[in-house]
Amino acid sequence: MKKILRFSLLLVALAMLPVMAVRAADEIPVLFKARVKSVVAVEFFTESELDRRPTVVSALVADAAGTLVLPPGAINSYVPPAKLKDFRIYLPGRPASEYSSGEYLGQDPVSGWHFVRMAEKLHAHVTPVTAFAAKSGGIEPALGEEFWGIGLRGKDEDFAPYFMASRVSHVQSLPERTAIALAEIAAPGLPVFDREGAFAGIAIGGFGQTFVQYSRNDRGLPIMLLNTDESSVFQLASDVAPWLTRVPADVSGRPISWLGAYGLQPMDPEVATFLKLGDQSGCVVSEVLEGSPAEAAGLKDRDIILEIDGQPLPRFKPDRVVVTYFDRELGKRQPGDTLALTVLRGTERVELKATLTDQPRLLREAERTYFEKLGFTAREFVYGDGVVRRVKLAGHKGVVAHFVKNSSPAGTAGLRVDDWILEVDGTEVKTYAQAIEKLAAIEADANRSEFVLLISRNGETAVLRVKLK
Amino acid sequence: MKPATLKDSPSSSITRKIAVLAVAFFAAVLAADAAVSRGFSHLLDAVVRIDVREESFDTGARRFTAGIGSGVIVSADGLILTNAHVASPRAVELSVTLASLERVNATLVGWDHWTDLALLRIDLADVKRRGLTFTHAKFADSDTLFPGQTVYAVGTPHGLTRTVTRGIISNNRRYFADNRGVKGYETGLFNTWLQTDAAINPGNSGGPLIDEKGRVVGINSRGYLGADNLAFAIPANIAKRVVADLKGDGEIVRSYIGIVPGALLDLESFYSLKQNTGLLINSVDPGSPAARAGLRGGDIVLSINGTPVDGRFPEQLPPLLNIIASLPVGSTVDLVVKRGEQTLTPAIVTEKLESRQGEEWAFEKWGLTVRKVSRAYARENQLDDDTGLLVIGVQPGFPAAVAGLSPGYIITKINQERITSLDVAKTLHAAFVEKPAPTLIEAEIHRRVSLYILKP
Repeated sequence: MKKILRFSLLLVALAMLPVMAVRAADEIPVLFKARVKSVVAVEFFTESELDRRPTVVSALVADAAGTLVLPPGAINSYVPPAKLKDFRIYLPGRPASEYSSGEYLGQDPVSGWHFVRMAEKLHAHVTPVTAFAAKSGGIEPALGEEFWGIGLRGKDEDFAPYFMASRVSHVQSLPERTAIALAEIAAPGLPVFDREGAFAGIAIGGFGQTFVQYSRNDRGLPIMLLNTDESSVFQLASDVAPWLTRVPADVSGRPISWLGAYGLQPMDPEVATFLKLGDQSGCVVSEVLEGSPAEAAGLKDRDIILEIDGQPLPRFKPDRVVVTYFDRELGKRQPGDTLALTVLRGTERVELKATLTDQPRLLREAERTYFEKLGFTAREFVYGDGVVRRVKLAGHKGVVAHFVKNSSPAGTAGLRVDDWILEVDGTEVKTYAQAIEKLAAIEADANRSEFVLLISRNGETAVLRVKLK
Repeated sequence: MKPATLKDSPSSSITRKIAVLAVAFFAAVLAADAAVSRGFSHLLDAVVRIDVREESFDTGARRFTAGIGSGVIVSADGLILTNAHVASPRAVELSVTLASLERVNATLVGWDHWTDLALLRIDLADVKRRGLTFTHAKFADSDTLFPGQTVYAVGTPHGLTRTVTRGIISNNRRYFADNRGVKGYETGLFNTWLQTDAAINPGNSGGPLIDEKGRVVGINSRGYLGADNLAFAIPANIAKRVVADLKGDGEIVRSYIGIVPGALLDLESFYSLKQNTGLLINSVDPGSPAARAGLRGGDIVLSINGTPVDGRFPEQLPPLLNIIASLPVGSTVDLVVKRGEQTLTPAIVTEKLESRQGEEWAFEKWGLTVRKVSRAYARENQLDDDTGLLVIGVQPGFPAAVAGLSPGYIITKINQERITSLDVAKTLHAAFVEKPAPTLIEAEIHRRVSLYILKP
C-alpha cells in the first residue's frame, strides 16, 4: 500500500518535471528545506471513560512563541479541553522518539482552529510561517499559477516531509478567498507557498471528489472520495493569515459572541426575486432562541436577515456560504458589541439592534461525573440541551447521560446516551449538584440492590429500573 | 383417549399390546379426520383470496400498486373479514376469489388499523345474478384456547390459493404493539394476539386461524419474517366485536387520554404497592388530557373507574388501555393515581383517539406527494402544532424537486398562507393549475426553515 503511494508520488513528481525544470528545480529544495521548519506533527490523546484514543495531525507554526495551529476538524468541539491529554510535538523527519511536549490553548470561535503551544526547547528548531509572508501582502493568484506545499508521512516514517505542487484552476469566496488546484498541494492545515517561497495560503480538508464506482454487482454507484491526508484546496493567506494571531486568551476559547438566531438558512436567489429583493442575499432565521440577544432585540422566527450594520449580505456561490459569512461577522465582534440588523418580516423591512452576549455554557464546558459501578456518566444540562429538546429555560433541570457502559447496570436497564434523567428514585433532580449527590450516594452504598430513574428520550419519558445486584 | 387404551390393554403379550395400540391409533385418526372434514369443508368454502389494487403516494405522484391477501366470509350476506393492512381506504379495486374459483368484486365497509382488521362486502347482486354460492364461517370462543391446541391456517401465502397449514397455539396472550405496523398506522395497542407456529407467510394475511372443528379462532395477521413459524393472529373475540362495530359505522371510535404505560414488572416493591396492583405510566403525551390533568411519567394508576388494575406484564397492558379506549369520547375517566406517598384522584375527560398517520395526497402539477401532519405526529416530532404537510415524495424534474424539496420536509406555508389543513393546500394547487405562477413555499426539516419557489 505504502509502496504504491510512494510510487504514485514519484509519478506525480515525474509529471511535474517538465514544469519545474523551467525554473525552480534548483531553488525548490532550498526553499523546501527552510519552509519545512514551519510545520510539525502533533499527537495527542482524547481520554474517555474507558480508553485513550490517539490522534495525529499536521500543524503549522504560527509565531515565534511556538504557537501551533491545528485545523478545525482535528478536535471535536464537544470534547472538554480537560479530556485532551499528552500533546506531543514531532519535528518532520526527526526520529519520532525525540518528541517534546505541548500545551492545548483552546479553540478560536472564528476560524475554528485549535491552538497548541510547543515546549520551549523546540522553539529554536522552527520558523513561523509568517516569516515567509509575501512582501507585497496577499495577491490573488493568477489562473494557472503554480503553488507548492508540504505533506507529512506517517509516524512510522518519522513524519518525513514531502513535496507537492499544482496549479490553480479556480478561486472563489467560501467566504474566505479559496483557491482550488488541479491536484493535491499540501496536507490539510499546512501552508502553501508560491514559486518564490512566499506564504500563499493554508490547505483545508473536507473537499471530496465524486466518482462512479463500477463493480460486478452494481452498475455505476456514485461515491465520494475524500483524501484526508492531502488537499488540493487552500484558503488564501490574505484572508486567513490575520487569524494566526487569534490565540485564545483562555482554554475555553471565550469570549464567544452570541446572537441566538438558530438554524440560519440561505435565501435562494429565486426567492429573492419572488420577494422583489432583486440581487439581495439573505439568511432565513429558523428560530429565535429564548433568552438570547436576538430575542431581546425583537428578532422573530422566519425573519430574513438582509443587512448587518448597514451592509447588505453579499451573495455567494453556493448560496449557503452566506451563513458562514454571517457567522464570521458575528465572530469578529465581541460580547457587548451592538449589531444593527435589517430583516424582512413578511413584506416589511424591520430595523433591529442587538447587543451580543457571551455564549451560554457550551457542551464541552458542562460538568460531568462518571459513576463506574452504575456504569454511566451524568453530565450537566446546558443551554444547548434545552435547544435540541425544545425545553424552555424554566424547564431546564436534571442531567444527561453522556456515556453509558455496555452491559453495565445502567446499560442493562436500558439507559442510552443522551437520555435526559429527570428523577432519581422518584425524586426530581433539579440541579446537577443534586443529581450527582444522589447518584454518588447510590454508588457508595454497597447494600443497594436497585434504583429507579425517570428519563426522557425523544420527548417521551420512561421509568428505568437499574439492578445493582 | 390413548392412555386409556393403554391402561386397558393386557400386559402379558407384547404382540397383543402392539396390535391394540395400532387399532387405537387408527380409531383416533379416523375420529379426528371425520371432525376435520365436516368443519373444514364448510370453512374452506368461506375462505377467499383478495386481490387489491390500491393508491400509493410515496413517489411524488398518485400511483397504483397491487397486492394479494386472504379473507373469510363471516355472514350470509357476504361480509368478509380481512386485515386492515390488506384492505385499507387506499384500495381502489378489491377483487375476491370465492372457493368456487369465481371472482366477484367487493367494497370496503370499514377498517380499524388498531386491531388490523377490515370488513368488506361482496357484490351480492353479482353473486345472485351469476348464481354463485358460498358459505360463511362460524367463530369459536378464542378465550378458551390453550397453548398447545391444534389450529390450522387457511389462506393465500405467496399467492398460493387455498393453502392449509397446521400448527398449535404457541401463546394465547402475546403482547405485540407496533406504532407503524399497518401501512404506517399504529396497531396492537388495545389487544393481545394469538401466537401460532402454523406456517404463515405473506399473503396469509386476513385469512382465518381455525380450530379442528373449522371454527374461526383468529385472523392471521403477521409473522416474523426469517424466523421459524412465529406468527400472530387477532383473537376471534376481538374480531367479533370489530365486525359488529364496523358493520354499523364503518369505523371504530375510541377514547384517548394520552398515557403511555410501561410494564411494572418487579417495581412493585419500589413503589410500595400491594401485590398485583398498579399500572405504571411511562410517559404522558404533552398537551393530552392526562397531561392537562397533571399526570406524569412514574405515576402509578391503581384503579380505572373504580376497578383495580394490574399491569405488571406487557400482555396485561392492552386490555387495560382498552378499558379507556372503549369509553365514549368525552366521557370522564376516574383514576386513582399513586405518586410517591401522595394519592391523586384525577377525573379526565377523554378525547377522540387519532392516528399519527395523516391523510395523503398528490399535487400532480407540483410533482409532490404529502401527508398531513397529525397531532400525534407533531407531538412525536416536537412540532409546535399540527400545521403543515409532510413531504413523502417528489417526482424528479417537477417543480417541487427542482426547487429542492425532498421527503422529510414539512411544508408550513404556501404563498405565505399557513397550511392548517390539506384543503388549504388543495385550493392553492388548484389556483396553480388554473394559472401557473411562481409559488413560495416555506418548509422546515430538522427545525431548519427554508424558502423555495415552485416554478411553472
